[in-house]
Amino acid sequence: MKSKNYDYYLIILTSLILLAIGLVCIYGIIYYNFLAVKPEWSSLYAEYIEIMNSYLYPFLVLLLISLGLCIPKRLLGQDILIKSSALILGATLVLTVIFNLEAGLGFILAVMIGIQSMVLIMTFRKSRAVRFEKHGYVVRLGSSLLHLGLVVLIFNFVTLRESPSHILIFWTGTLLITAGTIFALYPDRITRLWYTEQ
Amino acid sequence: MGFSEYLAARDFLTFIGQPVITYILIFSLLQGFFGILYLLKKKYYGYLIKCSYITSGLYVLGFIFLIWFHVQIYNTVVIEYPVFMREMIPADESRFIIPLWIESEKLYFWAMIASILALTVQRREDIVSFTGIVISIFSFIVYFSSNPFIDPLPIVHSEIAGWYSALAQGDAGIYQAAGILYGRITYYYNSTYMWVHPPMLFIAYAFLIITFAACIFMLFRHVQVYDEIAYMYAKPAYILLTVGMLIGYPWAIEAWKDSAWWWDPKISGSILMWALYTSYLHARIYANRGKMWKITASLGIICFSSLVFTYLLTYIVPGIHSVVQT
Repeated sequence: MKSKNYDYYLIILTSLILLAIGLVCIYGIIYYNFLAVKPEWSSLYAEYIEIMNSYLYPFLVLLLISLGLCIPKRLLGQDILIKSSALILGATLVLTVIFNLEAGLGFILAVMIGIQSMVLIMTFRKSRAVRFEKHGYVVRLGSSLLHLGLVVLIFNFVTLRESPSHILIFWTGTLLITAGTIFALYPDRITRLWYTEQ
Repeated sequence: MGFSEYLAARDFLTFIGQPVITYILIFSLLQGFFGILYLLKKKYYGYLIKCSYITSGLYVLGFIFLIWFHVQIYNTVVIEYPVFMREMIPADESRFIIPLWIESEKLYFWAMIASILALTVQRREDIVSFTGIVISIFSFIVYFSSNPFIDPLPIVHSEIAGWYSALAQGDAGIYQAAGILYGRITYYYNSTYMWVHPPMLFIAYAFLIITFAACIFMLFRHVQVYDEIAYMYAKPAYILLTVGMLIGYPWAIEAWKDSAWWWDPKISGSILMWALYTSYLHARIYANRGKMWKITASLGIICFSSLVFTYLLTYIVPGIHSVVQT
């Protein structure tokens, strides 16, 4: 498959996964509305959260796999990429079966954080080993920051909810996403700003 | 300074604000009328622009009146906590620092920003016409169901009136009223998050009206410039939407603690909206490929529908963000 086609289908896949997450949210709204009018609602709430999380997590895994296919493509060739993604998915499934879905998610997220941090460092150093769909240093940097921030935030929500550093990590993820989004959406302005200051 | 001064300020706001909102309604209806005429006959664009400027100016004037009223609330209403309570809370007294985007003021704020932003797209006359129609609908709803001048801040008013009534009645009512007000003032009205989270979202919503208009024209006329405009306005909106939504998270933890807020309908709706706009921005990378422009333009319209749906959730579905009681 040509690189352009590969990126195109990956973006379509990501969009479809996001739409599916949207459908889960619609279901959540309807279900909440149905449960909240019951007199025993306060005792049903914890169960409702569990159910909604269990519906969301498979799509979150899919989104992470799509990110997983997206992130290492900047480091690896297509064949190695698909094989390594299959390996990560396999390990995630094994962990999910042995422990639970959160353990599987935690694993895949930890791997993604490692890979994305590597991509970010290499992008920052302007390494030629990193491949990007879009050209331009600022866009690359933005995209790397954005993906890393997203993975950090999901990791924080899934595995560190009770941790004392939960909020600190949350703000770190938010900062990465904010900077990444601004860099990715306004590369020309950031570049101009950069060169004016230099 | 006290309750009577507060009441006088409230009455004065109604006195000066009602004519302003009435003129907003008149000029925005004219704006909508000329917008329709321009789309049908390509005439009267000059009148449309004049009405747009007058409507925006009036919205800003009304907003200045609202700021004045909020300052008056701060100056006139002081909640002095009973001695017994002062040992339990880190404050002797509180003043209301009421944000300008709560209760009936939030739709006004959104409409005002949308009205101002619509003036920035003047190079596309059809988009100005379309947004003119949207603004006239907005103003109609504001006037008849979310008028911030006719009964200013009804919930805040009932809380303030309740406080002074408790003061008049004596000890028994004061403790309960003070306890409730302390929570409301600290974690809601005066919270830094309240001053950042909602306005970021409302400004994002205003940008997305332009994106919506441009996507409609893109879908029906297929001219590249509409896609560019849609994208141009979606970019700042997406940044504000993402950051604004995220900022709500630590606030929810702080203010709602163990309350039932996770997977609340408004939060589900916001995630739905965010996922759709992310999807739109992703799909747009390939807008020039085959018929992808149709998909992205349609997505832009679906996204805006989800935005309206998310906004309305507050009024139609029970939840912690909601005004509907279970």
